[in-house]
Amino acid sequence: MIAPVPRSPQESRVDIDVGEPVLKVPEGLNGRSGSALELHRIVRVNEQIKDVVRPAFRISIMALNAILLARRAGDAARGFGVLSGELRRFAGELSQNMEALRQLTSTSVVAVTALVKDGRYLAIIDRVVRPDGAVGMQLEQVRQRQQHANERRLAELKQMRTALAQLVGDLRPLVQLGIVLARLARVEAAYGGAFAQSLTQVSADFSRTIEQIEAALGGLTKATERRR
Amino acid sequence: MKRAQKIFELGDRRWYAIARDPDKPDYVIDTNEYLVVDGSDALLCDPGGMEIFPAVFSAISAEYDPAKIAGIFASHQDPDIISSLSLWLEFNPALKCYCSWLWTGFIPHFGGNAETFVAIPDEGMDIVQGRLNLRAVPAHYLHSSGNFHLYDPVAKLLFSGDVGAALLPPGDGGLFVENFDAHIRHAEGFHRRWMGSDAAKLDWCERVSRMELDLLCPQHGAIYRGADIQRFINWFAELKVGVLSR
Repeated sequence: MIAPVPRSPQESRVDIDVGEPVLKVPEGLNGRSGSALELHRIVRVNEQIKDVVRPAFRISIMALNAILLARRAGDAARGFGVLSGELRRFAGELSQNMEALRQLTSTSVVAVTALVKDGRYLAIIDRVVRPDGAVGMQLEQVRQRQQHANERRLAELKQMRTALAQLVGDLRPLVQLGIVLARLARVEAAYGGAFAQSLTQVSADFSRTIEQIEAALGGLTKATERRR
Repeated sequence: MKRAQKIFELGDRRWYAIARDPDKPDYVIDTNEYLVVDGSDALLCDPGGMEIFPAVFSAISAEYDPAKIAGIFASHQDPDIISSLSLWLEFNPALKCYCSWLWTGFIPHFGGNAETFVAIPDEGMDIVQGRLNLRAVPAHYLHSSGNFHLYDPVAKLLFSGDVGAALLPPGDGGLFVENFDAHIRHAEGFHRRWMGSDAAKLDWCERVSRMELDLLCPQHGAIYRGADIQRFINWFAELKVGVLSR
């Protein structure tokens, strides 16, 4: 009989080494398994996504109001109207990107879950006393199959993390565009004639809201990038 | 992918139903999970099976921070109710799982240790978690021999586990019961076969009909609202159930 290697419950946990997140490990999570940390990281990413989606929605509504206001202001606010339309498109594009990010995090949860399950199976198989002969060999084959599945899933998860970081990185130019549009709207507002004060107020709201998006994107970047 | 849909909100108290998973494999029964939240206190009711953990986790994450979930309520011991426990514990090992004392030695086969479980005595108990104050209501033999439902007096909501469950045909994806007579046809076979005791059923009907209820939320199928709740209780009271009932 081949004696199983004794394992503590701690050792049976799955360790997912997909690169240490730059984020500080939250209090109470020190010493937790890699899979738990990975799930917590996904939750943080989701929370940051919400922090982008909310102001993006506000921009969309504000831009709609701004378009109507610019129409009332007439020729003097034509440029402001065009910029408001662009800001609305910007908000729509940002929301679409956030949806893509959310889908990617959902897929990551599926991958982490599979890893945790595989890890549990592997730990259980490791605890089985392996008899000599064909049955022992069969058990070893099962163990190896599980091990390979584990490695394959780990590689998939790494790819997902890279894709997530890339998608977030690609958002930076989009947010920069939003910042520029808000600035231009501020300039255009000054030419708004009788409506200049109202338009200036709206453009200031645009700028403030986009600053919130920029800050949330910073958080999202931190949550997704990996230590080199 | 499942979605968390808000079914109740009053101040900071919210209930979410995590239901209808179009991506779920056909061989796995569809389940409803419920999340009750009061500010930063949250409890998850019947978190579901291991297979659907990713869908439930992602759906909750889209609406609420799952790291704030401190407790799990398991109405009974079935795999579609609580086999995902080990995955939730992987995420948060400090989670408490409230279940019938009858199952505290059985559910650990899915995961958890001595610190995980809070045994609910047969007569039920208050489950207090921060600002959440809920009541575990006995529903033994409906269908499990150690079975509880969960009552929220703020929302006037009863999470009723398998009672009220309906196995809806594909395409019948409404979250709420809209046509009671059409709906209840999908509940009949399930209740006849799964509910083991006529006496337990009548006792439950009598107790629940005295409760103030706006929502009756089963673990499968659609949610009953308003007058449909009493309609369901009356229907259930009349239904012939129990061992070998035909």
